[in-house]
Amino acid sequence: MSTRDGRSRVGAAVSRTLTVTRVVLRRRDASAVAAATGLGYLLVYLYALGHLAPGIGGVDVTVVSDAFATFFRPALGPLSFRPVARVSVGPITYLFSLNTVLGTGVAALVGLNLGTTYLAWRQPSTCGVGTSSSGVLAGIPAVLSGTACCGPVVLFALGVQASGIVVTAFQFLLPAAVVLLVGSLVLVGRRVDPTAI
Amino acid sequence: MRVTRRRFVAAAGLGAVAGCTGSADPGAGGTSSTSTGSGVEESIPVEDVVPTADRTLPLPMARDDLRAHAVSGGPPKDGIPSIDDPTFVGSANADFLNPGDPVFGVVHGDVVKAYPQKILVRHEIVNDHLGDRPVAVTYCPLTGTVQGFERGETTFGVSGRLINNNLVMYDRATETWWPQILATSIPGPWNETPGTHSLREFGLVWTTWRLWRERHPDTTVLSTDTGSAQNYGRDPYGSYNPTRGYYENGTTLFGTLTEDDRFDRKHVVLGARIPDGAVAFDKAPLLERGVMTGELGGTPVVAVADSDLDTGYVYLNPDGRPVASDGERVSVDGSSHDPADLPLARVHTFDAMWFAWHGYYPETDVYA
Repeated sequence: MSTRDGRSRVGAAVSRTLTVTRVVLRRRDASAVAAATGLGYLLVYLYALGHLAPGIGGVDVTVVSDAFATFFRPALGPLSFRPVARVSVGPITYLFSLNTVLGTGVAALVGLNLGTTYLAWRQPSTCGVGTSSSGVLAGIPAVLSGTACCGPVVLFALGVQASGIVVTAFQFLLPAAVVLLVGSLVLVGRRVDPTAI
Repeated sequence: MRVTRRRFVAAAGLGAVAGCTGSADPGAGGTSSTSTGSGVEESIPVEDVVPTADRTLPLPMARDDLRAHAVSGGPPKDGIPSIDDPTFVGSANADFLNPGDPVFGVVHGDVVKAYPQKILVRHEIVNDHLGDRPVAVTYCPLTGTVQGFERGETTFGVSGRLINNNLVMYDRATETWWPQILATSIPGPWNETPGTHSLREFGLVWTTWRLWRERHPDTTVLSTDTGSAQNYGRDPYGSYNPTRGYYENGTTLFGTLTEDDRFDRKHVVLGARIPDGAVAFDKAPLLERGVMTGELGGTPVVAVADSDLDTGYVYLNPDGRPVASDGERVSVDGSSHDPADLPLARVHTFDAMWFAWHGYYPETDVYA
């Protein structure tokens, strides 16, 4: 009985979240918030990886040979993959890798979280601002997930010496970020009344 | 690289190995696909594949204890890709280098090459040739060490493990672990019984692009066309031009084998070791004074500065011959010589961060 109730509640929350997501994508203001935050996250993510950073200058496009195989080859850390293309435009160099695809997925979740949070914020009688900020909080592990691919390099910025445990922990940041982002999306989405928007 | 390896393996009659050696290890903590069941380690004696020295260099502890100090640096095996088909450009086409950028230079007969630090920091190993001699030029950013090794017909790769924060290389024919500074084989998960051998080494000069180009205007330079898509304008650890980040602060990423506060951890010393011992000269005062003397394993040695390249060399001087420098030329018994070419036996010498040198050679003689 209680299990059925639980499933029912989850089902209702997911259903409402999907509805709210569609509203986010339909409404110009909410979709603008989602797109801006998603893009902002992706840029931070790529910068944290070093895949979008100042380079040696010039204008150049380089694609590695055996790009398809290289695309799935691991690189510097857990869930880090080897770049297969380099695009240099003046001072900026962009490296394309599977991490851009992964980052785009996480960025989409971050954007939807913020878009949904925006809708909740527009409904203060339904959902307090304090609660609706959970979507923002969920973005923190998402940003950290970008550093996961840098491996221990990030640690000396924090003044922490790496250990086996710390290095192992890095591999969980990206999956944890995805879980938290999906969870927070449902958490906020279920509180928004689509009919009141 | 693969072609070379396959040729070797075919010659050795071990075709079954060929398919395994090119793939990356999917897990940083796991073992190589070649480590189980391939029989590589039993089939190919290390000394039959890799040119080794007549005598073994000193180790700070038992080889199994060294292995126990190996930690995963984060990247899996070959996650940091070696350059296996290097190309070079003339100095006029090295517009990606600034005058103060570090380069690692080598002269071998008519061959003059520079390996930019900003490229090697992304690859750590270049499997190259000097003339017809197959060599590996290796660089460990965390210990500030660049060392050259003869590699025979095999190639070297980055294992993903570190000991004393120092690169642990492996050779792709026998999968033996070779800690870079030690240049000596130790057991590892991919080859448990490699025996104890030291690699044959050659020296590279750690200097700046401006100084190297002035000394060797005909030099060639490792190209950014490395076969990888990397950003050679961004050093993930910091910067040498100007010095900042990891290269100047007092932190290490991983544990060190020893601690010694005579110098800051990242202070640069010129280290030399022979089977009988090790010696370290503080690089900064050597460059100021021109000449310093000391002992290496009980034998008198003299270190001389090469101000044109901001580097120094160590020579055995068992007879205590008088050596002096005027800042440019070095006199030995009154005769004048280039600092790199004294009539004494030169000992292989390279720059190293103090913590790295002392960690591996705690009994080292030190002169400052």
